[in-house]
Amino acid sequence: MKYFHLVWKNVFRKKLRTGLTASSIVIVLTLIVILTSLLEAMQADPSGGRGANRLVVQHATGLGNFLPLSQLQRIQQIPGVVAVTPELWFGGVYKDDKPENWIGQLSTNPDVYFDKIFDDAKIDPAVNAEWKATRNGFVAGESIAKKHGWKKGDHIVLKGTYIPLNADLVYIGPYSAGDESNIFFHNEYLNQSDWVLANKVTGLYYLKVDNGEDVPRVAAAIDKMFENSDAPTKTLTEKQFQLQFMEMMGNVKLLINGISLIILFAVTLIVANTVAMSARERVTEIAVMRTLGFGRGHILGFILSEAVLMSLLGGFLGVLLAKYLFIPALVAGAGKTSISIWLVNFKVSLSTLALAFAVSVGVGILAGFLPAIQSSRLRIVDGLRKVV
Amino acid sequence: MAIPLKYNLRNLVARKASTGMTAFVIGLVVAVFLCVLALVQGVTRTLSVTASTRNVIAMRVGSQAEMQSVITRDQADQMRSMPGPERTAAGAALVSPELITLINVPREDGKTYSNVQVRGMSPVGFEARPTVKIVDGRMFNPGTNEAIVSKNLSKRFANLNVGETLKTGSFRWVVVGLFDAQGSAYESEIWTDVRDLQQQYKRDMYSSVFVRLPDSEAANRYIETIKGDQRLKLEGKTERKYYDEQMITGAPIKALAFLVGIFTAIGASFGAMNTMYAQVSSRTREIGTLRAIGFSRRSILVSFVIEALMLCLAGGLLGIFFAFLVFNLFLTRPTGTMNFRTFSEVLFNFRMTPPLIAGGLAFAVAMGVVGGFFPAFRAARLKITTALREV
Repeated sequence: MKYFHLVWKNVFRKKLRTGLTASSIVIVLTLIVILTSLLEAMQADPSGGRGANRLVVQHATGLGNFLPLSQLQRIQQIPGVVAVTPELWFGGVYKDDKPENWIGQLSTNPDVYFDKIFDDAKIDPAVNAEWKATRNGFVAGESIAKKHGWKKGDHIVLKGTYIPLNADLVYIGPYSAGDESNIFFHNEYLNQSDWVLANKVTGLYYLKVDNGEDVPRVAAAIDKMFENSDAPTKTLTEKQFQLQFMEMMGNVKLLINGISLIILFAVTLIVANTVAMSARERVTEIAVMRTLGFGRGHILGFILSEAVLMSLLGGFLGVLLAKYLFIPALVAGAGKTSISIWLVNFKVSLSTLALAFAVSVGVGILAGFLPAIQSSRLRIVDGLRKVV
Repeated sequence: MAIPLKYNLRNLVARKASTGMTAFVIGLVVAVFLCVLALVQGVTRTLSVTASTRNVIAMRVGSQAEMQSVITRDQADQMRSMPGPERTAAGAALVSPELITLINVPREDGKTYSNVQVRGMSPVGFEARPTVKIVDGRMFNPGTNEAIVSKNLSKRFANLNVGETLKTGSFRWVVVGLFDAQGSAYESEIWTDVRDLQQQYKRDMYSSVFVRLPDSEAANRYIETIKGDQRLKLEGKTERKYYDEQMITGAPIKALAFLVGIFTAIGASFGAMNTMYAQVSSRTREIGTLRAIGFSRRSILVSFVIEALMLCLAGGLLGIFFAFLVFNLFLTRPTGTMNFRTFSEVLFNFRMTPPLIAGGLAFAVAMGVVGGFFPAFRAARLKITTALREV
């Protein structure tokens, strides 16, 4: 630490060069923070990992096939099941067909939904109570409600797509959770409509099991129960259920990771080039320092610290830019594109910050390593003799 | 008078390590750029290729995708009796009521599952799509629960080769053929007979009606006729328009590609700029000498920009080489992404086209100009006297 000033001075000896190198680190780190946050947003777990006790029952053939509502009671009777609600993906069009108006719309049973199943979401008890009492009411994720500027009492109309019905709903209030891109309304609203399948079918069942150990048993029991019926089921944990959507984007994930690795490698080379140039110019100076009594280890440490300091500075700025400039700008600017739905959950998490820090240090060490070794191995006589 | 190109070339060669490293970095960036663009190209092509303006897809008014639409048997019968569609040699109108569903099938590794679209079609449905060819096995026979599968799909999922049985829930299909749809969206589908599918699903309805017409004008007239029929309550679109609207699926990938492209380009330009600045500062005396023997400021400026261009062009060529390596070694198999409208997987191939390659080179050249201009400007502005005095 006592040499920090020396290292600091050396980093800023050639301001332009350091500036350019740090800038490329800034850009790359900004990009990496954005990409990582984007991946996280896409993978957003509605429960933040606490949903291990929840199961989703879907048609064995896959989504898009209805399940009969008659299954509800039989599922409820399985020992270990705390509560279960039918849910239906409404998939209606809000305002117009533009992607920025895409909303996840699910019907559910308000009497048990936030109280017994999705119990780690935060909702004001007063809002919850009012929602239960309002048959055409809906609650929305805080982010999506903010995005559309809904106020209590606002009416929205969802034009049905595969369900031939226009849902006219009233906004009651927000809930907050890991995934805030959805709105929830009453099953009863659909059941009392003139849809031919009303009160007969549901898209899936969402249920909670009293403890984690019972999860596999309950899942197996449900699937066994309906195995030979008209509507065989496939019961998944909440996480597996989410994963089947992520799976379809699996290649995008691979692509993002691949791109991140390649550009990190590229920026390491850029930094290495800079550190090497600066070390080469200081050969005489390094020889003089050695003559004054600084050991090889000192020289190695100086050059390495310079590289790490430079990339940390760049990384720090990159994170700041990503968090306070680019991500807000992207959320605002991309609100009109179809990626806007991922951006609802688009935030820089602590783990991303830790990753950015680790990556910056890593780039510094990798880039500084070779030039530092070279400089420390320099023989004093050669260094003093060399004319730059 | 211009400074000979040989001067720049030799300078680059003389500083091997620094030149090589910069060119390598630019190569990597160009390769990344080409990969993401090839991806965008692949998605775009999948949704636009072979979609014809002669074909009409009819759905219920307001539906965004075939899967969301419901058409009754009566509506389908009405459409069959409408005049206009092309006919087969045997005289059957090329009107195919179709049922689209999703099934959850295991991937080739057997561990993960994904959603795939199944299209039940009338026997004329296949004839109505002349761009689709059977490449292995044969066509399915109605009434036997047989299916044909896109060749691309069979590579990506388990149990989809000829002779194998696809099991999902209580349904069974025997795969009897593989088809090739020239890279279009049909390559993400499984095709079977619509009645078989209706029976398995216990559904007495369709999702859409596919109609082939003699030409695109007839198609437009046909769409108007559907619109004008008050009893029908359906909406027709040309196949081209339908898939153009599905193009939204590619938008996230495109946005990602542009984000990555712009950021990496700026980052790499800084790297190139750094190298060029270092070149200029280590050659200060040389530049002074050049000025002293009569080369103008402008020739110095041009010369250094050209040097940066050469550097980046070398990087660009390297990048194209890298991209080819990646394409031929890692990206030979089709890739998938999710169609948000249908929750099913859309398959596509990475596509590297000559305009893309040219784009990659132009991208490298742009980095050269941006990265070279400021250092060159500094070199040109040096005063002869101070430059010569520099140690």
